[in-house]
Order: sequence, then C-alpha cells, then structure tokens
Amino acid sequence: MQIIVVGAGHVGTTIVEALHDDHELAVVDLDARRLQDLAYAYDVRTVPGNGASRRVLQDAGVESADLVLASTARVEANLVAAMLVRRLSNAATIVRTTNVEYLESWREGYLDVDYMVSSEIETAREIASAITVPAARATEMFADGQVQIVEFDIPRDGGGSTLVGRPLAQAELPPDSTVSCIVRDDAIVPARAQQEIRPGDRLIIIGSPDAARAWSRHLAPEDRPIDDVVIFGAGRAGATVAQELLDRGIRVRVVEPDAERAQRMAAELPRARVFHATGADRQFLRRERIGQAAAVVTATGNDAKSLYLAILARSIGVPYTLGVVDDPVSVAVFEQAGVNVAVNPRNETAEAMIRFAHDPRTRQVAMLDDDRFEVLDIVVREESAIANMHFRDMPHTSSVIGAVVRDGVAVFPRGDDVLLPGDRAIILAEAARVAAIERAL
Amino acid sequence: MPATRSRPLGGALGVDVDAALDLVGGVLKWVGPAFLAPAAVAVAAREPPWPFLAAGALTSLSGVLLDQLTHERRDDRIGPREGFLVVALVWLLVPAFGALPFLFGHVPQLSAPLNAYFEAMSGFTATGATVVDNLDRLGRSMLFWRQLTHWLGGMGIIILAVAVLPRLRVGGRRLLQAELAGPAEIEPLTATIRQTARRLWSLYVGLSVVSTLVLAAFGWLGLDRTLDLFDAFSYATSAVALGGFSPRNGSASTLAPITQWALCATMVVAGINFLRLFRLLVQRQVRAVSRDEELRLYLALFTLAGVLLLAEVLADGIATGETALRETAFQAISTMTTTGLAVADYTKWGALATMTLLLLMFIGASAGSTGGSIKVVRHLLLFRIVRRELMTAAHTDMVVPVRVNGVAIDERALRSAVGFVALYLLTFALGSLGLVIVAQHAHSGLGVFEAIGASASCLGNVGAGFGFAGPFGSYAPFSDLSTAILTAQMWLGRVEIIPVIVLLTRSFWRG
Repeated sequence: MQIIVVGAGHVGTTIVEALHDDHELAVVDLDARRLQDLAYAYDVRTVPGNGASRRVLQDAGVESADLVLASTARVEANLVAAMLVRRLSNAATIVRTTNVEYLESWREGYLDVDYMVSSEIETAREIASAITVPAARATEMFADGQVQIVEFDIPRDGGGSTLVGRPLAQAELPPDSTVSCIVRDDAIVPARAQQEIRPGDRLIIIGSPDAARAWSRHLAPEDRPIDDVVIFGAGRAGATVAQELLDRGIRVRVVEPDAERAQRMAAELPRARVFHATGADRQFLRRERIGQAAAVVTATGNDAKSLYLAILARSIGVPYTLGVVDDPVSVAVFEQAGVNVAVNPRNETAEAMIRFAHDPRTRQVAMLDDDRFEVLDIVVREESAIANMHFRDMPHTSSVIGAVVRDGVAVFPRGDDVLLPGDRAIILAEAARVAAIERAL
Repeated sequence: MPATRSRPLGGALGVDVDAALDLVGGVLKWVGPAFLAPAAVAVAAREPPWPFLAAGALTSLSGVLLDQLTHERRDDRIGPREGFLVVALVWLLVPAFGALPFLFGHVPQLSAPLNAYFEAMSGFTATGATVVDNLDRLGRSMLFWRQLTHWLGGMGIIILAVAVLPRLRVGGRRLLQAELAGPAEIEPLTATIRQTARRLWSLYVGLSVVSTLVLAAFGWLGLDRTLDLFDAFSYATSAVALGGFSPRNGSASTLAPITQWALCATMVVAGINFLRLFRLLVQRQVRAVSRDEELRLYLALFTLAGVLLLAEVLADGIATGETALRETAFQAISTMTTTGLAVADYTKWGALATMTLLLLMFIGASAGSTGGSIKVVRHLLLFRIVRRELMTAAHTDMVVPVRVNGVAIDERALRSAVGFVALYLLTFALGSLGLVIVAQHAHSGLGVFEAIGASASCLGNVGAGFGFAGPFGSYAPFSDLSTAILTAQMWLGRVEIIPVIVLLTRSFWRG
C-alpha cells in the first residue's frame, strides 16, 4: 500500500516504525532535520513542506496513495490536509485530533474524513478499561468502546471464583460475552461448552464493557471493584478520563490546584466532585480521605509532578495508581517506580492510527498474549463461505467470532444467531491464521 | 441637582453626570405626550382636560430643557455608573411629573403634594397602594390616568425608551439590565438589545390588549354586567402590570366570579419571565420553557400558598366551595405576583393566612416579569447557595457550582443575588422601624404588624397591606413623614435598591 504520513513527530515516527516494512511510505513535515533523521533510520520517502498545502501533497504522490495519515499536533492543519486529499485522490484519510468537539462533528457526519483519532479519548479509554477490569492481564477496546477484549490469568489456587472447575455450559457466565479461547500450559484449548476453566488457565474474553467488569468481579472476588477514583489534574486529559469513568458509573473526584480550571471542570462535569487543592497538601489528603480511594490517576501534564503524586498516593494507602504521561520515555520510568499503569497519549494515538493501515476492510487489529493472537475487525463479504450461516454451524477452529457490529451496534452472538454479509465481525485468531481468515470472510 | 454646564464639576467626578442627565431629559421629553391620553378621556367624559395638558407640557418642556442644557457626545458610552444614575433619576422624576395632574385638578385627597407624589409613585412602580379613601369622588380621567401610570411603569419606561428611541442604541444594554426585574445574568439575552426591548414591550402590549378584550367581552356577553370597556381596560392593565389600582372601591371584589378567574390567569401569565414567555408563545420552545426551574418553582409556590390559605379559610368556615377556592387562589396569586388586587378582605382571615400572605410578599414574581419583590429565581439561587455552604462545610476545598437549569451560574451573579436579598431585608427592616418611630412620635395608633405589612407591601410593590392599609382600605391615615418613607420604599423596590444605594457611596462619585 502507498501511505502518506503527514507529520514526523512522535506519533508520525511511531507510525513509520510500525509500517515501513510492509508498505511504501512517504513522510511530510515542515522540519527538514526530522525528515533527515527518519530517512536515515527507515527506508521511506521524505517530502519537506506543509502537509496542508496542495503542492506538497502532490509532491508526496497523493494521486496514487491509498491512505493518508494526518498525525501532526496541529489539529486544523490535519483537517485541511484531509480535505485536500479528498479532492486530490481516492485515498482514505485518518486524522488525529485533540479536540473532542471536532470528533463529535465527525461522528455526526459533518466532517468528510474516514476516521478520526482523538488522543484524549484513546487515552481515557485505556485508563478506564484498566480501572474497570483490574483483574485483567491486558485489555483492548473496539467498535467505539462497545466491545472489549480482555485477557485474564486464573490464579493457581482458583482465586475463589465460582466459575472455576465447572463446564462452561453450566457456569453462570456474565451475559453479552464469549470465552473466545483458553490457553492452558502454553497450548490453545478451544472453548467448547463441555470445557471447564481450570486454575492457572489464561482466558481471552470478548464482550461488552459491562460484561468485562462482571468477569473481573467473578475472577477476583476478594478484590473490591474500583468504584471511587481520584484524578489529579483537570486539564484536557484529566477531564476526558473523568468523563469516561463517570459514563461507566464510577465515582470520580478531581483535584486541581488552578482555581479557574477547577471551576470550569466543576461546571462542565456535574457528576464529578471537584476540589481546588494541590495534591501534595497533606492536610487536604487527610481531610478528604484520599488514601481510602480505590485508585488514583495522575494527569497533571507534568511527568515529574505526576510521578511524585502517584508515589505519594501509594504511600498513603491507595492500592492502584495510574498515570497519563506526556513524554513517551516516561512510561518506563513510571512503571519502574511501581505505578500500575502508565499511558502515553501519543503512543495510544499512533497505535490507533496504525490499526487502519492493515487490510482496508480490517478496521482495527490488536495483538494479544505477546503477539500470539491477533484481534481482527473485518467486514463480512457477500461471497464469504460462512455468510448467512448460524453460529452453531460454523467450523470449529481456534479462531472465534466474539462480537458482531451490525448497523453500528455491537451484538454478542449466540448459537442460533446468523452472520450476515455487511456485518463487522470481531475475531480472535492465532497470528498464523490471520491471512486465511481474511480470505475466508 | 448638580449644575449642568458643559463640564459640570470638572474632572473630579467619576460619573458623567452630563451624559446621564442628557438621557434622562431625552426620556422625559417623550413621557409628555403620554398625558394626551387622559386629556382625551377627560374631553370625552366632559371633565377639564387642562390639568393633563399642562402637566404634559411641563414634562416635555423640562425634558427639552435638560436635553438642551447638557451635551450629547456621540463618543460617550453609558457605563454602569451612568446607568444607575439614569435609572434612579428616571424613576424619581417621572412620578413627580406624573403627580402634577392630581395637583392641578385639585383632586380630593390628592391635592397635598406628598399624597399626590405617593399616588403617582405607587402608579408608576405598579405598586397599587392608594391614599384615596373613596374612589367614587375621582373623575374618570383621573382614574384613567392612575391606570395608565401602572401600564407605563409596569414593563418599564426605560425599556420602552430603548425599544423606540434610536439614541439609546448605544449603552442601552446597561440600562435595560438595570431596569429589567431580577438578576439579568440568569437569562442571557440572545437577541440585540433593541430586539429584546421590542419583544418585551410587544408581548406586554399584546397581553394587555387580549386581557382587556376578554374582560370587555364578559361585559358585552352579560357574564359580568358591571363591566364596561373602561373597567375592562382598568382591571386588565392593573393585572398585566401587576399593579393593583382599581377604578372602583372594593378593589376586584365587585366583579363577577368569572372575571376574577380571568384576572387570576392574567396575573399568573404576567408574573412569568417575559423573555421566556416570548420563547414559549412566539418561538414555540415548549419543552425548554416547561423545564425551566424558575417557572416550576413559581407555579409550585402558588399551589403551596393556595393550599395553606384554603385550609385556613375552610377550617374557619369563612367561605365554602367555589368561593373559598376562588378567593384563596386569587389572594395567593395577587400577593405573590405583587399585584395587590383583592376579592376578599383577608385582614379578617386567621393568623395562618395572614402569615402566609406576609411571607408571599417577600417572594415576588419571576425575573423579567412586571412584578416586584425579591423574585423567585433569587430564592432558588439562595436556596442552592445555602445547600452549597452545607456541602462545603464538610469538604472545604470542594468546588461546587450553583446551577440553574443545569447551567453553572457565574460567582459574581451569585454574590450580587445574596447582596440584593440582604439589602432588601435591611431596607424592609429600616422602613418598618422608621414607620414605628414616626408613629410613636405622633402618638398615632399604628400597630407593629401594620407597620411591617406596609413596609413589606410598598418595598415589594404589592400595594395592599394589613390593618387599615388592607385590601379595601387606604394609606391615607399615615402621617406625612410615614408617607414619605413608604414612597421612598416603592422607589427603591422598583429599581431594585442597588441603583439608589450606590449613589450614596463615595466611591461611586470618585474618578
């Protein structure tokens, strides 16, 4: 595929890093030195200039391009680039935005862009899924947050869960979810009805976010669910995380040292409780019993401060700490310091954009269990062999259709449901079998 | 009044008195022609028209003089200080000129300047308190003039001026917000200022016409034989302006039940925020308006007050059936919307009813209506501020916005609402204290409750009080000094106190 990447910042570079092997890339950036560095490291074409200008896009070969990724930090420039591409070629366009209002206009169909990725929302979803399924080993969101894929490790002692040691058909599994796969002693065990979950297994579940939470509760019943989160920082990142958590019914407290920001946050999010205080104020932490919170998210926009607050939170008894980090390098620092989850918005954005560079029909792809599995999101073609087939009649392989997105709504299929052409199937497959599946559908 | 030469008091003043007086002159000039209407009525009723013609000429002449002596400077903007000054002066001066016909016509009981001024102030501020014992002794033209002052003052002279005078295009927003009842910040004005003023006035005119025609139709159809067009106009304007003057003795009690119900409906509608009424009737935003929290609280308070009054009236056997329902509903609506019309002598009702009515005087109608007093939305704000205080008592660092209709209200607007209520209660307390002191000195038999009632009633622009100043009584027994106090209270209540009190502070006048 011919792909043009507009912007050679961290997001652009991450995209190039992931795609340069399989695709023909052209990178556009104003900064000639950045382009030079990129050209030495990877075999890509570089075009110096403004990506929001017609001439530069044509120099980059937009007429013959299949995909344009506008990844600069300047949201409006990305949009202009996408508008130009629409006129100049048939290439699909993906735009990075930091403005949630643009995202809304796009969702309502007023912006002619194929896909929009919001750094804030990707970050907030990542944080929210880590908080809602704390028992998970890894988790990914699909289909605009309607479908969640979660990887659980069953403890060696069974963890006291009632789901363990019982055939799947008889266990009370949370609704709207499918056990897609069981990994036992490094071997893949198909998740048939007679199969049971054993201690030490690794499960891969596809289901709704609510179902994922229910699984987490079932598998780690002694861990209290995280229902009370304190967020430090009411900037864009903090506000989006707060909104995402509130939407999932989690109580949110926000601590912001800037009076005006605190006011604005309180006005915009009626359900969040906002405090005007610095997170490092001992009196405040004691007064508001911050130590009793189930989790703390630090999103101050300053990595050093965020790290300090996360460690402080742990020292006063908060069991689970998460950080939104500005500099991608800080992810490792946070994790080294014992912060449970560190999320970098630019990494999240790059990953979200990379997912689209695969098969044009494949909307999103994620890797699970150290790249052993891939999650595919494929539109079912009319001529597919399994289109119009009941799910119970489908051939038993190691790949499983965990969810179907029909007319924008996620459905979690049962045996008597039918797979229709035009459905978006969310499939868990062994990495080696991905090509075969893409052909089959 | 300060000198009005080109640079009156040099650069020492922080207020452009010149520009303010120029505007006052401009408004006054156009109040003059309003006197032609009662003059026409006088001619038709074979009464002398000259008191009105002379008063109108004097008013316009003063306006023109003020206009000529001051200099309109196009580059001048009416700032907040000039706005306060204009509003305070207009509401002080217009009733003064409005009192002239009573003096010139040697109207019985109104020939004393203070009484005439009281009556005119009561008229323009849409209070409805009267010093006339027997209205039958007044001519038709004088009765008409009293009602017309209600109607002109109800929606506001300055808002009318903004709507029609081109020169008020600049600076009009300040004036309109200073005169419009209630906290202006709650309902952001989405239209231009002239459009807003025109919407307010056209709705006001429309409501008055409809109400007059409905009442007149009752008369023509024989549903209420006592009503002619004159009475229909009089009662309709009284209700639409939430005023309270009546063209007959006995307030609204001589009207047929159906007319009284119609007046109830008129008062309820006139007590709604006119900007919201416009959205409901003209822009048809039914859902948004029906969810309005002020409107809901306004209707809920009526119902609550009506139930309390009804319980008392039924328990004491004062009235039964439809009569009891009608009388209590009418009094609850009339008192809360600060109208002051009456269909029953509530001074004969029990303690619970008296207490309820006194408290209703402090509630008032909606912001942006023609009513007076504190206004429903300020009570709503106050309640939510108190609730916030309770919340932040436990969580000292918590930031809790106060919301109305889901929108966070600016802290400055909240402070000004609290300040206003405090000032309002202080003015009420000082007024009642003043009345009691004056009465003690004059050895008149003014009771504490009558003093409190008169003070609350005049400050709230209600009109009817308790005791001898009750719904069918008059304020005539008050001494001159007391009358002056009550006149000042009506003035303060209409301009919502702050534009007047701020004139007494030193920082207002400083550069």
